[in-house]
Amino acid sequence: MRRAMRRLVVLLACFAFMLLPPAAAMAETGRLVYDHAGLLSDSEEAALAARAAELGAKRETAFIVITLNGTDGKDIVDYVADFYDETAPGYDKPHGNAAILAIDLKERDVFLAGFKKAETYLDGARLDKIREAITPYLSEGRFYEAFMLYVEMACDYMGYRPGVNPDSLLFKTSFQAAVSLGVAAGVVAALFVRTRGRVTVTSRTYLDASRSRVVRQTDRFTHKHVTRTKIERNKSGGGFRGGGGSFGGGVTRGGHSFSGSRGKF
Amino acid sequence: MSYDADAGMLSCPSCRTRMDVRELEQLRGGQAAGRAGTACVADTVVYHCNNCGADLLATPETAATKCSFCGAGVVLADRVSGERRPQLVIPFTISRDEAIRAFKKWCRNGLITPRGFMSADRIQSITGIYVPFWLYDLNGHVHVEAVCTKVRTYSDGDYLYTETSFFDASREINLNYVMVPADASRKMDDAFMDLLEPYHYGQLKEFQTPYLAGYLAETYQYTDEELLPRAKDKIIGFIEDYIRSTYAGYASVKYRNKQIDIRKINSYYVLFPVWMVVYDYDNFKYTFAMNGQTGKVVGKPPISFGKVVAWFAGVAAGTFLLLKTAAFALGGGFF
Repeated sequence: MRRAMRRLVVLLACFAFMLLPPAAAMAETGRLVYDHAGLLSDSEEAALAARAAELGAKRETAFIVITLNGTDGKDIVDYVADFYDETAPGYDKPHGNAAILAIDLKERDVFLAGFKKAETYLDGARLDKIREAITPYLSEGRFYEAFMLYVEMACDYMGYRPGVNPDSLLFKTSFQAAVSLGVAAGVVAALFVRTRGRVTVTSRTYLDASRSRVVRQTDRFTHKHVTRTKIERNKSGGGFRGGGGSFGGGVTRGGHSFSGSRGKF
Repeated sequence: MSYDADAGMLSCPSCRTRMDVRELEQLRGGQAAGRAGTACVADTVVYHCNNCGADLLATPETAATKCSFCGAGVVLADRVSGERRPQLVIPFTISRDEAIRAFKKWCRNGLITPRGFMSADRIQSITGIYVPFWLYDLNGHVHVEAVCTKVRTYSDGDYLYTETSFFDASREINLNYVMVPADASRKMDDAFMDLLEPYHYGQLKEFQTPYLAGYLAETYQYTDEELLPRAKDKIIGFIEDYIRSTYAGYASVKYRNKQIDIRKINSYYVLFPVWMVVYDYDNFKYTFAMNGQTGKVVGKPPISFGKVVAWFAGVAAGTFLLLKTAAFALGGGFF
């Protein structure tokens, strides 16, 4: 009994350990928050920069946030492209891995771009998902929460190989835990049934098949009814392979290609 | 002489003489082995042991017992004659030693029974009992009417069509079930006895008293008419299964009218062999029953809470790890 209990404690410890996230390594990266529009307080900016640096180190990517109040007539996509060419951000080298979130208060534009590693890991479809998740916060003026969510989601999504749906139920720890508990309950229930003894008599055990039959049988068709539903065709199935997204990506004047997602808030 | 399950014959433990049951019957001209002399007629409870002459007290349902003084097998002949004479019997094919071995083996298979229980060295008693059963030949006449549907889907242009066809489907079925057993013992737990099934009827023998020698035996405590409802209950599920099978191919079946009429064609009074094992664990007595023909064991063993929890946690952790690995292999992050 005591041995069983000890074994149990070890197992539970393993189980709990698997649920814990690993400690992320900290590293120094260049400037990550460019709050030109002055939307964040000093403490918020510091906290955002710290979190972006921490998660950026985990994915070896610079998670950058730019807020603007007008772009001198430039389109926000061009602004971000030029920003990448000129500022040359990156995790460990100039023009390195970078994900950029830019918002323009004047035009109420929001644009997300992924460069280098982030271009493949944060393809158009994934950036669309992030943009759709943060847009409500931006519309309500909760910028700090929106930026934090962007950093968290970008980091999370980069943990999945390109091409797979990062929101698949299979990847959800809660779903995995629920399935595990369900399977365990099933196995234990089966063990209980087994110890009590199984029924080994089937419905054919006592049946005298040679003297049992259907004597008379009628199957008369009476009527039928038909229903029809319109097939939804504009929804392309899947949508995560190939990384399409609504924007499609582009190339900077300096020759750096990127993935992107743009919209309004 | 007692009946030896290994040899399938009667054998004398002191002189090792073996004799076939039928041979002995002929020899004695129908007189039973170890037949006990009765003190009175009918249902009196005092018998005399033929071996040592001691007075024996027997409960009214006892048909065979052991003398509590000298241990000799005693068959209460008047309890197995006349209308209480069984028609058929399945003799024990599993001897006492085999029964003990089979029980120990079964104990080791208990994945959630306590460790001490698995060693199975505390068998308190093991008793071979011929349990009275009624076997029924039943005829079931079934008339059902049902509304059934078949569903077909197809697409044409921008539309998906679902076509549901309705049928009036009726069936007239004649079913025969043979030798459906129901135990006629008050003492034995019905659920227990049902789980011991099936018995293989190929080894059914015409009843001869000597089969009982060395074992306990009971006479029936319910008449075949009294037990008929239980036998019907046992096959009603089988009949429902059969009806369902005749409606295979339909997407849905809704019964409008269902008449099942079960009639008894025949009934037989038989004795089936059962080993009852009383096992002492943790100052608590557990009772198990073993089919004396097939060795199948049923019973409620003690459950180890620690083992149940360990199984639960182990399987849960294992599955979780497996899912995590699968997710990782499919391209998801491990965390």
